[in-house]
Order: sequence, then C-alpha cells, then structure tokens
Amino acid sequence: MKAPGRWLAEHWITIASPVVLLLVWEWASTTGRLRAVFFPRPSTIAAHLFDLALDGTLWTHTATTLARIGWSFSLAAVLGVAVGLAMGLWRPLRDGLDPVFAVIYPIPSVLFLPMVSFIVPAGDIALVVTTAVTSFFLIAFTTTHGVRQIDRLVVEAALHYGARGRRLFTTVLLPGALPFIFTGLRLGLGFSLIVVVAVEIVSASRGLGALLWLSWQVLKVEDMYATFFVIALLGALLSYGLAALRARLLPWVPDVGDR
Amino acid sequence: MAPRDPKVLVSEVSVTFESHGRSVVALDRISLEAQAGEFLCIVGPSGSGKSTLLRVLAGLHRQSSGEVRIQADHPGTPLTAMVFQEHALLPWRTVRDNVTFGLENRGVGRGEREARAREMLAMVGLARFARHYPHQLSGGMKQRVGIARALANDPEVLLMDEPLAALDAQTRTIMQEELLRIWATLGKTVVYVTHSLEEALLLGDRVVLLTARPGRVSEIYPVDLGRPRGLEVRGSPAYGALLEKIWTRLREEVVRAIADDRGADHEKSDA
Repeated sequence: MKAPGRWLAEHWITIASPVVLLLVWEWASTTGRLRAVFFPRPSTIAAHLFDLALDGTLWTHTATTLARIGWSFSLAAVLGVAVGLAMGLWRPLRDGLDPVFAVIYPIPSVLFLPMVSFIVPAGDIALVVTTAVTSFFLIAFTTTHGVRQIDRLVVEAALHYGARGRRLFTTVLLPGALPFIFTGLRLGLGFSLIVVVAVEIVSASRGLGALLWLSWQVLKVEDMYATFFVIALLGALLSYGLAALRARLLPWVPDVGDR
Repeated sequence: MAPRDPKVLVSEVSVTFESHGRSVVALDRISLEAQAGEFLCIVGPSGSGKSTLLRVLAGLHRQSSGEVRIQADHPGTPLTAMVFQEHALLPWRTVRDNVTFGLENRGVGRGEREARAREMLAMVGLARFARHYPHQLSGGMKQRVGIARALANDPEVLLMDEPLAALDAQTRTIMQEELLRIWATLGKTVVYVTHSLEEALLLGDRVVLLTARPGRVSEIYPVDLGRPRGLEVRGSPAYGALLEKIWTRLREEVVRAIADDRGADHEKSDA
C-alpha cells in the first residue's frame, strides 16, 4: 500500500486536531477562559475516569448498556435482515410495506417507549424493543436495496448455469446483498447505541445514559464528561469492530471501507 | 459429405418484444443451422437481434414462434453454455468456484469438480489464479474465467456473446488466438456473436449476416480461408476480397440501422 511517511503526510491533520483541541481546552480551563465548573480540565476528567473505573461504577454501567445494545441490535438485525430480504425478493411485500415504513421511520424511537410499554413489560424489555425500532428500519432498508441492486446479468448467468430456488438464494442473492447488509448493520449498531443511551437518560437508573444524566443533575461535571468519553469510545469500537468483521467475511469486496 | 442432422437447428424463429405498449419485432423468421464442430459467427448492425438470438439458444429468452433444436450427443451435460459479454462472473466466488458453479448446481461431486476446474483453468492459462477473486483480475483474465466456466460444463454447444468486445485491442488479438487454439483442441460447436467482421473472418467457418431491425438472415457466407488459421490470414487476398464483399452488404444494413434510429428519434420528438 502506501509508505508510512506518505500516510503521515496525508493524515497528520486527523491525528493532530483532537490533540490540539484537548490542549487548547486544558489551557482555557486552567487560565479561566472557560468556566471550569462546566468545562473542567481534560486532565481532571481523565483522573475522574480513572476513579470511576477503579471503584467499579463504570464497569457495571458499561456492562448494562452493552447488554442492552446487544439485545436491541440482535433483535433489529435478525428481523431487519429477514424482512429486508423478503421485501427485496417479493415485490408485493415491498409495495405494501414501503409507505408504512416511510411514515414510521422518521419518528424518533424514544417516542415509542410509552406505546411499547403498553404491550411488553416496562423496564429492560420495553427499552430493548423501543431501541430496536430505528435500527430495524435502517437494516431492513439497506437489505432490501442490497437485494435490488444485484447485477441482473449476474443473476441471469447464475440461472443459465442452473442455480434455482434455495441455491440461487444462497449462492447469488444473499452474497450479492451482503455488502449492503453489512452497511445497514453498521449504521444500525450506531443507532442502537445512540437510542439506548437516550432511552437510559429518560427512563433508566442504570447504564451509561443514566450515569451521564445523574452526574449532570448533581453537577458532577467531571463524571459526566468521563461517561461521555466512554460512550464515544464504545461507539467507535463497535463500528470499527463490525468494519473489521466485514473485511474478514467479505474478502471479495474491493477497497473495503469505501462503501 | 453425407447430409447429417445439424447440431443446431433454428427454424423460422421470431421474437417480438412489448415496449411502451407497442410490439417491436426483434427477430423475424430466422432460419439457420450449425454442423457439429462448426464455428458459426453471427454479425449484424446493432439492434439486429444478434444477442437476442443467442439468448433464445441459451434458453434465457423464449421465442415468440418458431423452433430451436439442439442435438444432444452426450446425455447428462447441458445443451448450451454461454460466455457473456460483460463476463458476468459471481464476484463473491473465487475463480475456481466460478468455474465449478454449473457443475455444483448439477450435483457433480467435489473431486470431479475440482479436477475439471484445474483442467479448464490450465487450458485458459489461469492455473495460478484459482484462489483469486474476479476483482483482482484484469478484463482479459475475467473473460478467460468466463470461458473456462462455460467449457467446464462440457456443453453440446458453446455460445459466445461478443466475449471480446469489452477488451482493449491487444488483449483482444491475443484472446482470438487463444480461442482458435481452444476450439481446435476441444472441437466444440460454437455460435459466436460479434460486431467485428474481421473477428468473424478470423474465427468462423461461416458468417451469418443479419439485417437491421427486424433481424432477418440476409446472407450466409462460407469462410474458405483454410485451417488452422492465424492472424497472418489477414494479409491474404482471399481474406481481403471476402471482407470487402461482406462489408458492402453489412454497410447497407448499418446505414439503414442508423437511419431507423434517427427516424425513431424524430417520432419521439413529435410525440
């Protein structure tokens, strides 16, 4: 690929900008240009993050949030891929569901919480179902599109060489849609995180969202920022993890990361 | 030579498409035949239905009327295998798995499949690329895989739809020589669609000239340029004379096709 020197020459700004930002923040809080009550020094936040990790608080809340994301995302992924595939393959279903999806999709998921609570037990189950809604739509949309965009000529060639029914599905339609399914999963995972944290803020006593909100309400601003940082890191890790998984599972896709 | 049943018999085949509520005749009562082991080339202006005819032979499109018969000499192998213009390989399968795809679909055992893939990849010069994915190959190499995939099925008739049209001139020349070699080795019956008259004269035993839409058989020319034939044939007087003769006819059809297109454009702008 590229020489490391050249890579650095192209990307130094990406690496330098957060560092510079933190340094400016540190300087501004120390000199009082930013009010330390609302914008504590990054070094103080780091110390608080360390404390939270040491006394175990951070781990319990992170584990709770991760478990919720896991359930929510799995639910959205299984249903989203299944419904997306069915819509991609079967036109009447697509025509029937498109308008319904178009209406429901833009509604912020958090607003479904009351409705969902009427149907399933309030608490973790309601939270998981609510947070799965947006991801489900994203994954179903991209999966449908993934099936639709498969090169007609490739399908025709597969038919010509005798692929029918189940084999046509497993050897052509599913792998053909997979790059898009992965894109949908990556977006869906990001949204699961966003919505889980948002719902935790409004309705839970545990989890990173709850920790962040509680810290803010009692004005433990350093803890709020520390939690904030953990959420951001979690999001980045999940996204890159899925991208790495995709690169491993889909070796035929040229220039992974472009799409 | 005693008359025998032709390998491919196309009789009075017509194809009509419905387009914007109007029916368009793509092929009009096409009749032709190819003998076993013959290399039959089909040329014609764009829109003459060359590819449609091939798709009918491949079973990808059903003719509106008429009959297609392909003599099956080896039960258990498919009647046709097609090499597509844009190669149409499965991007998610390795070169080897693309070549064995048809065999897999027919339930041929793994050992036999892989032996067959090795043999075919060696024949097209891609033995070292069995584990590559199509996107890692050049255009010419992809088309070699397309040819290996078709041949792996040991079809009664090999169909080729402008297989070299998307390649650059040098690669195309190399591939033409390769095709001649492979055809001489396997002795397959080939129906080959091309828009290049030069290519048809280099490869074919006979050249079928189709008219502009609706496609009819205008004329069938035997190519008496001897075998084995190589690129040097292009320097011979017989080649030049035949090229001139067919081109004169083809040119009329091309001009007519262009005029028809203009006419269609006028109709559109009137509407």
